[in-house]
Parts: sequence; C-alpha cells; structure tokens
Amino acid sequence: MTSPPSLDPFPPPIPVDTHPNRAPGSKSPELERSLPDPNRLAPEDAYFAPSLSRAQSAPRNYEENLRSMNGESSAHIGSAAALRKKLGSAGRRRKRKSAWKKLLWVKQSYPDNYTDTETFLDHLQRNPRVRPYDFWPLVADSTVIVQHVCSVVIFVCCFVSIVQDRVSPVSIVCWGSVGTAVGWILWDNWIWKEHEESVPSADGITGGDDGSSSISFASAVDTPADDTQSDDTKTNAIHGLGLSMAGNDSKEQFARRSADFSERIDTVTHLTGQSGVPSAPGSSIIGTTDPFISQDTHRVSTLSPRNRQRLTTVKSAFLIYFALLGLSPILKSLTKSTASDSIWAMSCWLLIMNIFSFDYGSGEGAGATTKFPASLSTNAAVMASTVLASRLPSTTHVFSLMLFSMEVFGLFPIFRRQLRQKSWTGHVLLTLTLVIVAGGAVGVTLSGGWAAAIIGSVLGGILTAFVMGGCSWWLISLQKYKNVVIGPWDPARPIIRRHWN
Amino acid sequence: MPYNIAMVSDFFFPQSGGIESHIYQLSSKLIDRGHKVIVITHAYKGRTGVRYLTNGLKIYHVPFFVIYRETTFPTVFSFFPIFRNIVIREDIDIVHGHASLSSFCGEAILHARTMGLRTVFTDHSLFGFADAASILTNKLLKFTLSDVDHAICVSHTCKENTVLRASLDPLMVSVIPNAVVAENFCPLSHTTRTPDQGQSSPADAPMSPRPIGPDDPITIVVISRLFYNKGTDLLIASIPRILASNPNTRFIIAGSGPKAIDLEQMLERNVLQDKVELLGSVRHEEVRDVMVRGDIYLHPSLTEAFGTVIVEAASCGLYVVCTRVGGIPEVLPQHMTTFAKPEEDDIVLATSKAIAALRSNKVRTDRFHDQVKMMYSWRDVAARTERVYEGIIGDISPEEFYGYYPGQGWEASGDRVRSFALIDRLKRYYGCGVWAGKLFCLCVVIDFLIYVFLEMWFPRANIDIARSWPKKPPASKTQTTRSVR
Repeated sequence: MTSPPSLDPFPPPIPVDTHPNRAPGSKSPELERSLPDPNRLAPEDAYFAPSLSRAQSAPRNYEENLRSMNGESSAHIGSAAALRKKLGSAGRRRKRKSAWKKLLWVKQSYPDNYTDTETFLDHLQRNPRVRPYDFWPLVADSTVIVQHVCSVVIFVCCFVSIVQDRVSPVSIVCWGSVGTAVGWILWDNWIWKEHEESVPSADGITGGDDGSSSISFASAVDTPADDTQSDDTKTNAIHGLGLSMAGNDSKEQFARRSADFSERIDTVTHLTGQSGVPSAPGSSIIGTTDPFISQDTHRVSTLSPRNRQRLTTVKSAFLIYFALLGLSPILKSLTKSTASDSIWAMSCWLLIMNIFSFDYGSGEGAGATTKFPASLSTNAAVMASTVLASRLPSTTHVFSLMLFSMEVFGLFPIFRRQLRQKSWTGHVLLTLTLVIVAGGAVGVTLSGGWAAAIIGSVLGGILTAFVMGGCSWWLISLQKYKNVVIGPWDPARPIIRRHWN
Repeated sequence: MPYNIAMVSDFFFPQSGGIESHIYQLSSKLIDRGHKVIVITHAYKGRTGVRYLTNGLKIYHVPFFVIYRETTFPTVFSFFPIFRNIVIREDIDIVHGHASLSSFCGEAILHARTMGLRTVFTDHSLFGFADAASILTNKLLKFTLSDVDHAICVSHTCKENTVLRASLDPLMVSVIPNAVVAENFCPLSHTTRTPDQGQSSPADAPMSPRPIGPDDPITIVVISRLFYNKGTDLLIASIPRILASNPNTRFIIAGSGPKAIDLEQMLERNVLQDKVELLGSVRHEEVRDVMVRGDIYLHPSLTEAFGTVIVEAASCGLYVVCTRVGGIPEVLPQHMTTFAKPEEDDIVLATSKAIAALRSNKVRTDRFHDQVKMMYSWRDVAARTERVYEGIIGDISPEEFYGYYPGQGWEASGDRVRSFALIDRLKRYYGCGVWAGKLFCLCVVIDFLIYVFLEMWFPRANIDIARSWPKKPPASKTQTTRSVR
C-alpha cells in the first residue's frame, strides 16, 4: 500500500504481440515514435552512465530531468539512492525500462497522475481553420446588411409620413409599384438570358416533381460550372468573402431563383390567406403552375414557357393585390382595442427581429442552410406592417401600406440578391441610393423640409460609412481573441457517401 | 487506514448506465478494502429515503427537483443543510463526486470544501469547446474544480480534456480507467468453467471454439444507443456495403434511439431484413448473451471517453472494429482491435479486413477473455483510487504523491495541497474569470456564511452518529490481498 507500481495484485500483463504505441492517426505521422528509442534516455542511465550526452535541449519528462539533475552532480551513490526512494519503493520496483505509454490496458510503472510532457496534449490544435479577414472585402460584404437596414428605415419613415399625413399613401405605393415593376422586368431579363444560355443543362433536371425537390436535387448534383458563370464567380471571389458562395453552376441558380421567386409569392399568398380570406385555390394555382415545371412539362402549350411564367407571375401579383384589397377593412380594425404604445413597441421588436433573422447570404451553397428560416424574417416584417397598418385611418391607407410592405420585405430582397450576383456596380449604386434615400427620409421625418433631407442624407451617408468601417475594423481587431481548441475529445465528423439515397 | 467516503452523483441505480455501475463497483470494492462508503444521490421515482445495497453500501436518496435526464436543478446552496447532516452523521472524510453534468456533485464538492473535507472528482465524459452549451458547462466545471483536491479521469484523452476545461494542474489529475466485471462477460466456451479469480493462465484454456473457416458465417454485433454521436449514420451507411462485399455475413444490432427509424428505412430500402437482426434495446445483463452470438463487435462511435462496451465485447471474445476517436485507442491492445477513421469507406474497409482476419484464423479470440480479465478489474481501480485518497488526506507525502521534481517549473504552482482557509479558497475562485471569478467568490462567501449559520442553528452535537455496517473480519481480507500479490 505504499506505491502505485507495487500495488496491483495481478500478474504482469502477458506479453502480447501488439503495437503498444498509440498510432496518432493520419494527420501527424511525424509524432509516431517507436518504443525503444535510442535517443531517449532510460532511467537506468542515471545509475550506470552518469556522463551521458545531454543533447536534449528541452527536458522530455520528469524522469529525464531528474536524471539530468543527478547526472550533473556526478551521480554519486547518495543521490542515486535518493532518486530510487523518490521513484518508488526501492526493493520491489519493477523494471522501469519502458517509456510511459498513452495506453490504459498496460500496467505501467508510473503513478496515475503522471503527466508525460512529450505526449500530453500533443493532439491539440488551436485555430486550425481560421481565415483572417481583410478590411475591404469585409466592408464590401457589409453592404448587404446596410441595404436591408436602409430599406427597413425607409419603410418606417414612409409609415410615419403616412400617419402624419405628409405624404399620400397612394403616391408611396405607386412609386413602390413602379419600382417593383422595373425590378421585375430586369429580373425577368436576367433570368431568361441566363436560362437561354444554359438550356441544354437545364433539360437534364426535368425529373424534379416540385420546386423544393428540384432545389435539393440541383444542389446535390455537382457538375462543373458553366462558362457563363465564370464572370459571376469572379465577381463573387473578388468582392465576396463570407456571405457569398461562389462556384455554383447556372442551372442550379436558375432553378433556385425561379423556385425562390415562386416560393416567395407563395409565402406571401399564404400570409394573406392566413388572415382570413379563403385563398386556397389561389395558392394551389401557384403551386401547380410552378414556372420552372411549366416550362419543361408544358412545352406543347400555345404560349412560350417564358410567357407562361410571366403570366403566372402576373396572376399571383393580381391575387395578392385583390387579397390585400379584400383584407384591408379587416386589418384596419384589427387592433382597435390595443393601445398605440403597445403597437409601436411590438412593431419595433418585430422589425428588429426581421433585421436580425434576415438571410443575408447569397442563398446558395452552404449559405443557404442558415439557422433561421428566411420565412421567420418575412413573417416578422409582414406582421409588423400589419399591426402598423391597423393604426391607419382608412382602408386605402391600410391597403397601400400593406402592398408597400409586401414589395419592400417580400420582393425587394430577391431583387437585391440577384443584382448583387449580376452586377457589382449596380449593387454598390443601389446601396448608395438606399443610404441617401434613407438618410433623407429620416431627416424629413425628424424636422421636415428639403434642407433637412439633404442634411440627413449627408449625415446618414457619413454615419453609415463610419459604422461600416468601424464595425469591420472592430471585427478584425477581435480576431486576435479567437481561440478555437480542437482535439481528440471533439466529436468526430463522420464522412458519409449517401450512395444509396 | 480506512476512510469514510461519500460518493455523490445525480446518477445512480435504479437508473442504469456507465456512471452508475462505475460508482457501484468502485464503492463495493472500496468496502472490500475496509473503507466505509456511502452514496448520495437524488430520489428516484419509487426509490426514496435510505437504502442498503449488497455489502452494506448505504444509499441516501435525497429528495430533489429533477429537471432534465435525471439531473437535479442547480440551486448552489439548497443542498447544503441535508448534505451537512449526512456528512456529520456518517463521519465522512472524503467526498467523491462523479460526472460533470451532475449538479449534485458540483454542489457537494463546494459544500464539502466549506466544511473542511477533502474532495475528489471523477470525470466520465468528453466535452468540446465550441458551442454555447459546452461553454456554460465548462464554466460550471471550472467552478466545481477550482477547489477540488484531486480529479480522476477515465482515459488520458479525458484527462487532457478536463485539464483544459477546468485549467487544472495536470499532476492533480489521475487517470484511472473504468473496468469490467469479466466474470459477467465470458465467451460461450467459458460458461462451464468456475468463475473464480484470475488464477487460470491462458495456457490452460485449450478448449478453443471451433475455428472459423473461410466460408463460415460471420456475425457482426452492434450494441449502442442509436444516437448521432454514437455514429449510427456511419453504421447505416456502411451496413449495405459490408454485406455486399462480404458474403455470408450478418448483423445483430441492439439498442434503440432516434436513429432507429433511419436504420429500419435503410434495411427496407436495401431488403436486408434477413441479414440484419434488430433486437431493440437490451438490458445491461443481457448484453453478454447478445455479444456471444457474434464474432466481431463494430463500434462506430463519434466520441467516447472510455468505451466500456468495447472492453466488454473483447471480454466476450469478440474481435473489435472501432473508430479512432476520443479515448478509444488507449483502451484495447492492437491485436484485439481494428481501428477505422470515422468515415464510411474506412469502416467498410476495416470491417472487411477484420472479417478476412477472422476467416483466415489470424486472430486468437479465445484468449481475449483472459487477457481482458488481467487488464481491467474493479479491484485494481479501487486500489488506485485508494492511493488518490491517501494522497489527498496526507497519508502519502505530497512529494511522493505528486512527484518531487525540483526545478521543473511545475513546482511553481505549489497549490496542490489545498488549504481550507477561506482566503486561499477565494484566491482560487477569483482566478476563474473576470466576471465569473467575482460571482464564484460571492457564492463561496455565502456558502461559508450558511455553514456558520448551520453550525450555530443545528449544532453538531445534536446530530446523531450513524452506526456503520458491521464489517467482515478484516484480517482475512487483507491476508488474501497480500497472498494474491
């Protein structure tokens, strides 16, 4: 009961032909050391060969250091005896030839709390996959956030001016609708130009039975990128960093975008449908005449697929329009019994939720699998605008605001995402416009007049620039605190080829 | 000298599992060595009050609010009065907590230190550092272990993990593996033999089972809960490929869990129902009966601190195929195992290699049982744990216990023999973090005030001392221990 080596009441482990060393895996073969290493000292050296070379610069483990201490004091008998006493009961000590091994099944002649300085934590990795950020790409990526925040600000300012009777709601919704129409025409052009360039590859994926499965199918298939995509990819590679996922082929983009658009409209239709109007047939119309499917399966149809899709879009636009028109009287009196203060607070929180849960990724590749569903953000925004609209005096007001919110929160993000992939200059210009408009709108809302608008735009622009730069710089400066520790205790990531799926 | 030891953990029988059986086996072997051991756990459904198990192991089931998976609600202080009462009543010297997720264990270690008792903590699991949940758990572990006298880990990987998580001095952490009751995991050919202790050498085991021919059927056994971190996805992906490339092979899969549906779907998709037998969950005492039906044990786990089940499988005479994760590479010698990377292709390859090795009779699985019996036993674990107790109580000098290595730099942290002075304890807690350190200090001060209050309100003199369980004559016990040695 005196020392650990002599404690075990069992016979020593039977000699089995094994590889007792822990093979350190594929990543660090240089760490592999064979058991009888001639370069390393054995404890007996301390007794028998006091004048060994002390080549090791760093002490390998305790025993060795102890030995070196004793060796330098010329290892007379007294120190050897002291050493023996320290190392364990002198008489019954088992042979201490073997180096310490990181194994549990061997009975080792070391105490249980022995820490081998050589192997302890040798598989630890720190910050193995850290990518250092660069300043300008980070600033460029932050434009996405700025765009969204600006559109929210513009929406709020529009609401305030409607409430304060400064601007007619009809004019706002007219301008918004004109913008939406222009955006849609642009979007339509891009999509079909792109599609025409890649028709052969798009024919390969006619197997999809609905929009969602075609998305998953297209993302699962991994084919080399088309040439048409290369400029896109380049743009992304230059300007994008974390938020943009480069290198998808165009048919996937096409499938995703068209499905995305119809899904959005679908979502919007559902949202309006949930509020009481029986819009089930409408949503089923959109569901069955999915643009992506229709252009492949209904080739015999009289209309060209492009026109069919346009027709579908127009159809759903009208559906939303009339649904909103029908809903407006209901929405007007929705929160009559609620105090305005609660409404302001609630819409504030909902808009903040919208900003924080918004999908700022490019919607492709790994970025598409965000933690929050994009619908959370859209739902929050639509609910915020609903409760805000219920504060308005007339049905026209309510209808205008709701339609405007659909345009701002439902359709505008799709356009922005597409624009960012298509043309970086357009993206930057749009950002600038949004910042200036938002600043001006805030200025007008706060004090009114053109002078205030200009001051607001200038101040807003400067402030935005400072915030973008400051936040990017802050994030980069915070990088030095990054300390990712990875080791064998982490759950392994299984690598599976789902060939049977 | 015998100690009075209190094992504290949320996890104990009637719940079954690795930690539970660890506590039970360790306690009963410590009792065999002449110590007095009690177990403090929370009340389970239908299991309250004080109970005695075999060998006079006394269990206190303290009524407590359970929040999640049999873990009690962490209240920091509310456990103190009854804990103090139990500790005084049983005249405890050492408090030994188990499992880092058990809030009972953490509280008990804090209160025991306040009461001036020595504490030991055993860690059974591995934690990462990445996600928010583990950050919180690691902070709590740091709180628990800031003032502990010694920690025990079940594998060297677990030790590295614990040292990092709780910023401990590595010399204050011992590695004492789990063990198996080898008698309960005999291969089929051993059933006739009397299960007496390891007197039998492998030489007198001539009755090897029939050798496996090149075309004989091979059965692969998998016993694990079907969870993500047990690698069930890997299993699901590799089963069809293993069966396709190795004719005359079949699987027996025991265990249940959320991934069971995926497994069944895979079987239906590949029409493998006649080659794969699903048993559902089996009780721990039936595990051996399932294991002995197979030749290979496949363990595709993604993380594992020790992996008792592969030791059990090897003890049953099964050749083990397992992933090289966590502490698994330390557990079994190379000739009993084939390691694979946690990848589908590698698992298929390793299993095929293992099947080929068995069919060509390269592996002497009939010797595994005796070898495992010599590697792992609870008596050995108890003896090694006893040394830890001796070290922290001071029966072994600190120089001998921690090693005396002058000029090593390790000496600089000469705080290993933890003093009970409040100011020293506060110093240790203060270093836990900018905010956490102050919060922890506050907790410790409050705990101390509660202790003072309890001492005044419920004086020690009014607490009865429980009579200990009548011991077996200790003379014969020590005699046998000596003779075996």
